[in-house]
Amino acid sequence: MQHDLNDEKMKRILILMITVLLALCQSAKAQDSETIVFTPQWTAQAQFAGYYVAEAKGFYREAGVNVKIEHLLATQSAVKRLLNNDCQATTLQLCQALEIVDGGVPLVNILQTSMNNAMVIVSARGKNPLTQKGARVGIWNVEFGQLAICMSMKERLDYQWVRCAQGINLFVAGALDATLAMSYNEYYQLVQAGFEMNEKDVYRFCNHGYNVQEDGVYMTREYYEKHPEMAKKFAQASRKGWEWAAQHPEEAIDIVMRYVEKDHISTNRVMQRLMLKEVLRLQIDRESKKREFRLRPDMVRQANKMMLENLMLSREVGYKELVE
Amino acid sequence: MRTIIQYIRKKLSVRVSLWVVLFATVIFVAALGIMFYQSSKAIQQEAISRASQILDKTSLYVEGILNRVEVASNMTKWLAERHPDEPDSMFVYSRSMLLKNPDFYSCSIAFEADHFKEKGRYFSAYTKHDGDSIRTIQGGSENYQYFYMDWYLMPMLLDKPCWTEPYVDLDAATNTSEMVTTYSQVIFDHQRRKIGVINTSLSISWLSHSISSIKPYPNSYSIMVGRGGTYFVHPDSTKITRQTIFTRTMEKPDTALTALGHAMQRGEEGMKIINLDGEDCYVFYKPLGKTGCSMAIVCPESDIFGSFKRVRRAVMAMVLLGLMLMLYFLIRIITRELSPLRRLADEAENIASGHFDVQLPDLHRTDEIGQLSHSFAGMQQSLVQYISELKETTSQKASIESELHIASSIQMGMLPDKFPTKADRDDVQIYASLTPAKDVGGDLFDFYFRDEKLFFCIGDVSGKGVPASLFMAVTRAVFRTVSSHESVPNRIMTRMNEIIVEMNKTHMFVTLFVGVLDLPTGLLHYCNAGHDAPVLVGDGVGELPCDSNIPVGVMPSWQFTLQDAQIFPGTTIFLFTDGLTEAMDAEFAQFQINRVTDVATEALANHQHEPHQIVDLMTDAVHQFVGDAEQSDDLTMMAIQYIKK
Repeated sequence: MQHDLNDEKMKRILILMITVLLALCQSAKAQDSETIVFTPQWTAQAQFAGYYVAEAKGFYREAGVNVKIEHLLATQSAVKRLLNNDCQATTLQLCQALEIVDGGVPLVNILQTSMNNAMVIVSARGKNPLTQKGARVGIWNVEFGQLAICMSMKERLDYQWVRCAQGINLFVAGALDATLAMSYNEYYQLVQAGFEMNEKDVYRFCNHGYNVQEDGVYMTREYYEKHPEMAKKFAQASRKGWEWAAQHPEEAIDIVMRYVEKDHISTNRVMQRLMLKEVLRLQIDRESKKREFRLRPDMVRQANKMMLENLMLSREVGYKELVE
Repeated sequence: MRTIIQYIRKKLSVRVSLWVVLFATVIFVAALGIMFYQSSKAIQQEAISRASQILDKTSLYVEGILNRVEVASNMTKWLAERHPDEPDSMFVYSRSMLLKNPDFYSCSIAFEADHFKEKGRYFSAYTKHDGDSIRTIQGGSENYQYFYMDWYLMPMLLDKPCWTEPYVDLDAATNTSEMVTTYSQVIFDHQRRKIGVINTSLSISWLSHSISSIKPYPNSYSIMVGRGGTYFVHPDSTKITRQTIFTRTMEKPDTALTALGHAMQRGEEGMKIINLDGEDCYVFYKPLGKTGCSMAIVCPESDIFGSFKRVRRAVMAMVLLGLMLMLYFLIRIITRELSPLRRLADEAENIASGHFDVQLPDLHRTDEIGQLSHSFAGMQQSLVQYISELKETTSQKASIESELHIASSIQMGMLPDKFPTKADRDDVQIYASLTPAKDVGGDLFDFYFRDEKLFFCIGDVSGKGVPASLFMAVTRAVFRTVSSHESVPNRIMTRMNEIIVEMNKTHMFVTLFVGVLDLPTGLLHYCNAGHDAPVLVGDGVGELPCDSNIPVGVMPSWQFTLQDAQIFPGTTIFLFTDGLTEAMDAEFAQFQINRVTDVATEALANHQHEPHQIVDLMTDAVHQFVGDAEQSDDLTMMAIQYIKK
């Protein structure tokens, strides 16, 4: 299952272009202009606790904005929903956003939550990921993991990327030498699967010069420019939700678990508690030690540089293109 | 606590009973301990064997079904590889698999992306039961990119057929879900290139249902975990597919549970004791065929050992009650058996307080206590007799003591008690003391003046007490009688010897020193019959030279020799009996003559050698030397100072 990365990229750009066209066609699609449909990029979990809190505690209502949180089906893509105008806001990783803007769909970052990179490579016991040239490494079949591909090229590791829906079972069964994981999600899933985590076997991108921000809330610029006030209110109420979650983590988990139960997600409170703790940690800027909720121009430049070097972007997507 | 200990110390019956019960307890504890240990081992063994049988049976059953799936999958693979270029045939193969095996859940023959150009990017011949009918469709879409799924990737990556981790299959069309596991293997084309995967799914709801219904004990339950530790069977349905066996160890480490999880993941078989929710549980586990799953039967210890523990508690309670009763009755019986002793003790106290005539209880017993009672009665009689004899003896002794006291007064009355001093005379002053060792003594001294001469003597009768005192009285009387008409000391001594020998039937004797001091001239005539030589204290200190004569009363014909010496004015003649030189301290060391001369020398140096002074100094010195030791002999001293100028 080794994929040629350039082919993959070309295909993705084509798909993006087609969906952009479709989106333009559907621009007249009937949509309640008063409601923002918000689709997080993954199934219900504590990664999105701030938004659930904002909805459950009525912060959106207080701000005078109608927000409807609609989750993806397991096999759907949030990006496609955004481009189809099935939703008006979604969470994206910075690298994903750069790819989409580069593909011709202008986006606006209305709220940046992540201040640090959460991606790690976990390798089979006793093997340092940096010494495993040509190893079979699991990667998400959706559009995450750009940094890992850049790192593999830069470090000349020539990993064989295996795209999969989720790498945990394959890794535990011994079908993979290593797998990409988010420090707040798959990392804990591996621990929960009985994998004895040893820090030597874990490569944390944020500690090796790849500390690029991840989750932020994005809208298409087209929608944003039509509804700037609503977007701001949505962003402010969401930020309030995150701040409340940081102050009341246990109550926030209660709220998260309600969303999890509603969608019948196979997870548990322990995992969600660990996830929230880690997500909140990642929201604190390393330098200012504060929860800043802003996109950092230096990180945008760094992401651009790496992706341009690896031909993932056709041009530089500037910081100003992403913000208001 | 101290009161209890004191009570136990006081009561023999309680102490003996406690010892007996303690000993019985030790024996019971040892015997019951061994019995309980053996019983619990047997029960544990039975539980292991019962659980092993269930696990083996379930495992064999699962193996049988899995083998059927594998055989069917192999046949379909063979068909697909014979016609790899005929996509429509794949629908037939997939459908026929389910037709022939109605208990299988689904079958799909899925191919690599764009494998059949005419069929589009996704091609999967997918057949599934749909109620009573079988539905075959072309699976795969943008929303279901099967080639990213575990069941597709695992055989591709592992290069071998494999069973995937169970998962809940959601059928959007019918909105139903089913827990399935799949057997997947790769399809190769004629060039041995990997072109797709055959996936045969098996519902494990029946398996989970039959596993969860296993209940070897009332509160036992079964669990099934997948390769990643995920619960697929658990009595708490909220844990199924949502938690793994390791979840609870993530926040609260539990090494035993982690070890169990790893052992089950490794496909091991065995038994572990784990503490779950505060209760020890026996967990018996075994892998389920090749699925990578493992099942376990969790039996709370209280279930396995429930009846055993109830019996054990009952036995322990009975033993405890028995021991308490034993203690109670022992104390009662021993107290009753020992009650005569108590009465005897009371009567003994009465006797001790002087009531010798109390009536002892008549016990009519022949055992040791009866014997003791008889002995006690005998002792009481002896005691009464002894006490009456003692009373008589005591009164006799008191009478004798009274007589002795009188005798002592008489004896002391015989001795001179007026001592001439400077005030009385200008030629001589005298002082003497006699301290008998008993009431009466055998020492004597005497002096009197006649014809300007001082007649004096000092003596010591052999023996002590009344006989010696009588002999002393006789000696003194004889001295006075003989010296009244004889002035030469050796003649006085010879005559005294003759008289005393004649009446001496008891063979006693007396050492005697007789001196006659001519007062105008200071010339001293003297005769010494075996007595200690006097010490002269004047111009220096020295012993008066004495001939060796035998004591008076030994030989009738002995001729005593006469000696003389000039006594200069100021010189004190210090005479004494051996009670001084042989006075002993507590270590039986004697005072000796050198200490006498030392005291005399010191007295002389201090000009304290007048008779009274020298006798007092000598008395103090000897008392100091003797200390608390008992006086062993009569002590007599006499000092005569010639002071004629």
